[in-house]
Amino acid sequence: MAATRETAAAVRDVEQYKYGFVTDIESDMAPLGLNEGIIRFISAKKGEPEWMLEWRLKAYRYWLTLADEEPGWAKLRFPKIDYQASYYYAAPKRKAALTSLDEVDPKLLETYKKLGIPLLEQQILAGVAVDAVFDSVSVATTYKKKLEQLGVIFAPFSEAVHKHPELVKKYLGSVVPYSDNFYATLNSAVFTDGSFVYIPKGLRCPMELSTYFRINEKNTGQFERTLIIADEGSYVSYLEGCTAPQRDENQLHAAVVELVALDDAEIKYSTVQNWYPGDADGKGGIYNFVTKRGACRGKNSKIMWTQVETGSAITWKYPSCILQGDNSVGEFYSVAITSNRQQADTGTKMIHLGRNTRSKIVSKGISAGHADNTYRGLVRIGAKADGARNYTQCDSLLIGSTCGAHTVPYVENRNPTAVTEHEATTSKISEDQLFYCRQRGMSQEEAVSLIVNGFCREVLQTLPMEFAVEAQKLVGISLEGSVG
Amino acid sequence: MKPSEIIDHPFAGAYAKRLGVKTPWQGHLPGPKMEAWRFTPLRTLANTPFVPASASAEVDVTELPRGVPLIAGAARLVLVNGAYREDLSDADFGPGVTISTAEAFASSSRSPLALLNAAYASAGVSIDAAGPGLRPIHLVSIGAAGAEPAAFHPRLRITVAPGASLTIIESHVGLPGQTYFSNPVTEIALAENANLRRYVSVAEDSEAFHLATATISIAAGGSLEAFHLGLGGALVRQDITVRFAGRGAAARLNGAYALSGRSHHDFTTVMDHNVPDCRSSQVFKGVADGDSHGVFQGRIHVARDAQKTDARQLHKALFLSRGPEIDCKPELEIYADDVQCAHGAATGEIDHDQLFYLMSRGIDPATARSLLVEGFLTEAVDEISVPEVQALFRDAIGAWLKSRDIARARP
Amino acid sequence: MALLEIKNLHASVAGKEILKGITLSVEPGAVHAIMGPNGTGKSTLSNVIAGREGYDVTQGEVLLDGKNVLAMSPDERARAGIFLAFQYPVEIPGVTTSAFLKTALNAKRRAEGKTEVDAMEFLKLVKAKTAALGMPYDMIKRALNVGFSGGEKKRAEVLQMTLLEPRLAILDETDSGLDIDALKVVSDGVNALRAPDRAFLVITHYQRLLDYIVPDHVHVLAHGRIAASGGKDLALELEAEGYAKYLDTAA
Repeated sequence: MAATRETAAAVRDVEQYKYGFVTDIESDMAPLGLNEGIIRFISAKKGEPEWMLEWRLKAYRYWLTLADEEPGWAKLRFPKIDYQASYYYAAPKRKAALTSLDEVDPKLLETYKKLGIPLLEQQILAGVAVDAVFDSVSVATTYKKKLEQLGVIFAPFSEAVHKHPELVKKYLGSVVPYSDNFYATLNSAVFTDGSFVYIPKGLRCPMELSTYFRINEKNTGQFERTLIIADEGSYVSYLEGCTAPQRDENQLHAAVVELVALDDAEIKYSTVQNWYPGDADGKGGIYNFVTKRGACRGKNSKIMWTQVETGSAITWKYPSCILQGDNSVGEFYSVAITSNRQQADTGTKMIHLGRNTRSKIVSKGISAGHADNTYRGLVRIGAKADGARNYTQCDSLLIGSTCGAHTVPYVENRNPTAVTEHEATTSKISEDQLFYCRQRGMSQEEAVSLIVNGFCREVLQTLPMEFAVEAQKLVGISLEGSVG
Repeated sequence: MKPSEIIDHPFAGAYAKRLGVKTPWQGHLPGPKMEAWRFTPLRTLANTPFVPASASAEVDVTELPRGVPLIAGAARLVLVNGAYREDLSDADFGPGVTISTAEAFASSSRSPLALLNAAYASAGVSIDAAGPGLRPIHLVSIGAAGAEPAAFHPRLRITVAPGASLTIIESHVGLPGQTYFSNPVTEIALAENANLRRYVSVAEDSEAFHLATATISIAAGGSLEAFHLGLGGALVRQDITVRFAGRGAAARLNGAYALSGRSHHDFTTVMDHNVPDCRSSQVFKGVADGDSHGVFQGRIHVARDAQKTDARQLHKALFLSRGPEIDCKPELEIYADDVQCAHGAATGEIDHDQLFYLMSRGIDPATARSLLVEGFLTEAVDEISVPEVQALFRDAIGAWLKSRDIARARP
Repeated sequence: MALLEIKNLHASVAGKEILKGITLSVEPGAVHAIMGPNGTGKSTLSNVIAGREGYDVTQGEVLLDGKNVLAMSPDERARAGIFLAFQYPVEIPGVTTSAFLKTALNAKRRAEGKTEVDAMEFLKLVKAKTAALGMPYDMIKRALNVGFSGGEKKRAEVLQMTLLEPRLAILDETDSGLDIDALKVVSDGVNALRAPDRAFLVITHYQRLLDYIVPDHVHVLAHGRIAASGGKDLALELEAEGYAKYLDTAA
């Protein structure tokens, strides 16, 4: 059938990763490989105080003891990573410190434009402040002034180390200790930059804070570190978006995100992850091994994770909540789409420690092509968590018969007054729904996109409005070419 | 297996010798870092100095222990410490059923416990059923240690010929106050259009260990209806794997557990859908009192070719006191798209509205709770299609509830 | 002596005061209707009398035959003769209606010093009662209230009432969700139970039910207090004029 071939060809064109270009900027790089010298090099490059270097070295020495203990429990297959074959520091060369966007390398800004982040426009379009991380260094921070007036600290991590050492010292590693897991330990040793956010008491942050991360340099690993502290009674919504250029080699991304919510505080953390997933044969793509965890330390605090994961060759990621404060709430909303040879093993952990703590998990997995998509989650109710509640709903959709969809929940309850509920389903897109849409004149792709978006609706609607639209498009684009 | 995933076992030396094959866990028991055993630690088992029960001359069982039901119409088959006892068994199993003891047959299970069984089981018992109108079988496995803790390894094979239909009821019990370790391996093969109804009751003594491994393969058009009850033992695991080997096969695997004291009970099930057009359903319910520990792990695996699979699973558990732990890991592993698969799991306490409703009709709280617990477990027991067996299991649960009340009444 | 005596009853739910001083005296043989708009505390009153948890009595008394009801557990209250016909009878999967009825009946008989009924007597009794209510006898084999229609649930409540023969029956919005035929069956069942030593508290939003179960007294509950009392004509007046004037004055 000619029409089908035509569609397939068109789809192949669209399928090309549209963010797959390289910015040609001279880079300032560390020598290849990893050793104590490299860590001292990174720390020196950033002019870090001694205590920061010591923390890195502690992590590095601990990491060495883990030599053989890369987590092996996830349903993921990939060749052994040679940690000596990567560069652990790359920064765009620049003349002097930047004070305004005008001083930013125009090529960089052009890159952001191609990524669809209207950095300059954003100064006009109110509501979004962007801390853009290009490779390892934060290059531009907008809306800084206005946020400063409110007492909000929104800065590159390396800047916060200098300007707010007391806060960084107090909270860094307090949610994800340097010894947490193989990748988090590696990150603790070699992290180069990231975002630091502090919302003062009682403030409802009036704008979405947003960071776009971008891996550019060849063979660089990206190890950013984000720390968000919401002081008593405050609120912040934070959005993170990720893209990476097209490379034949696999690149490692091992980030750590720590959230701390004190009494009555609320943090909403949304991620749209669209790292390069590799080509149709599984060549290239990002290894996304990320540790994200939030502590609801105060009473009545709330942390809400929303993630839309469409990219990366491999995703290993479990944004979690430690519900310590009485009446605290943890929520996790996830859409994970895998196609071609992508693999995702993602989910959450809800650890209930305080009384009347509540958690809700909604996970939607869509698997197509030769991909494998696993939800892995833990709900643990401690003996003292009287009145705790959890509700979990995991739904998986399979598109085609060469992919896999898996659900692996762990529910551990030690409190008789707690109630946990878990439901999961796996099925394919309903032929009836598809036919109905086709009969109304939609193409197969349009119909699938529509139905899958409907399937993900509960999650997508938790995203901030402007990103929900982007995410909806992404859902459609991610599946093109993998349908009938 | 990594070294961190195993624990040493006192049998190690003899075990390795007898097994004579090199397996990764030769001479070892699985440790808590092995995923399938994360909720069921075997350290106490490993630290108990068992002797092979066959070596214990002091043991003499001459009659069935109290509490073993007499099932009218069923032919009785008795094992003491894993060995077939002709004197305690019926002589006639009716036409179509052949009982034989044979050298240990091969088992398809590669689990460490099945391998341990393979190393130690002396003789296996085979039940081969063919033809119409078969008499039900009541298998009674009795554990009896002497002065020293004793271990035994029953090995059972059941085959049901094409079109035949067999019912087997299993009672796993022991002499009171004794420490023994029963490690049964059961291998079941259902031929085309064969049916098996298997009802298993594990009510071991409170000091006993029971780690059962059963593998059931079902050929095209065959069906299994199974119910497993767990009422006690220091450490009990019922590990059940169902393999679909032909189209149109069906399995209903259900169970219940009621735990008190320091009992640990683990249901681990695998539904292995390797071929198209098969159906499986599972309903497991449990209640936990005292400081007990209930575990449910249920995996549904659907292979690439197993289109049109319909697989469902439900696990619900109730806490009856402060103290127990309930862990649950349902798992879907799906590689075919045209399937309907679902699982549900819930834990909680007795519903307050239901309790209030019963009390508002004049029923005292203890009776109301008993009634609700019984009703809760009944949902699983109702899945048993043979009324007499259903009544039997209902009575066993009723007796458990009564004994619990008696225990409560003590100062 | 009054059968039920409520004196200056205050009760709150989750710290919010719902009942703000209710005083009510119910004589044996009488039918009292409690009417009022939604959210004025009608269901709270019935739940407090029956002893549901989560309702805190902060002040006042409830006496049944002179005995302090508030000190009793819900089952003691039931055995003392209080029966609440629920607005939403709870479903209990796995527990058959017959096992439930027999347990409840024998609990009451034991409390009264009577011998328990055996299975045969019980079945005979239930057969007679279900027949009288026009209910299929097979219903008692089903799990309690599970899969029952709205009408079936209300009929099952009346069946329980006729079996347990309470001193005080509280009907909490028994008419809600019933069509006219079911309403008639339920009302007939209730009317058949009217007796000189038994009283009824009929809680309803609409006058309709009172056409079938004719009350001796009608009270209007508004803002947690009894705003007006009268004879059965008060119900008709409410039907015609609505509750507006009580909501205004009682506020």
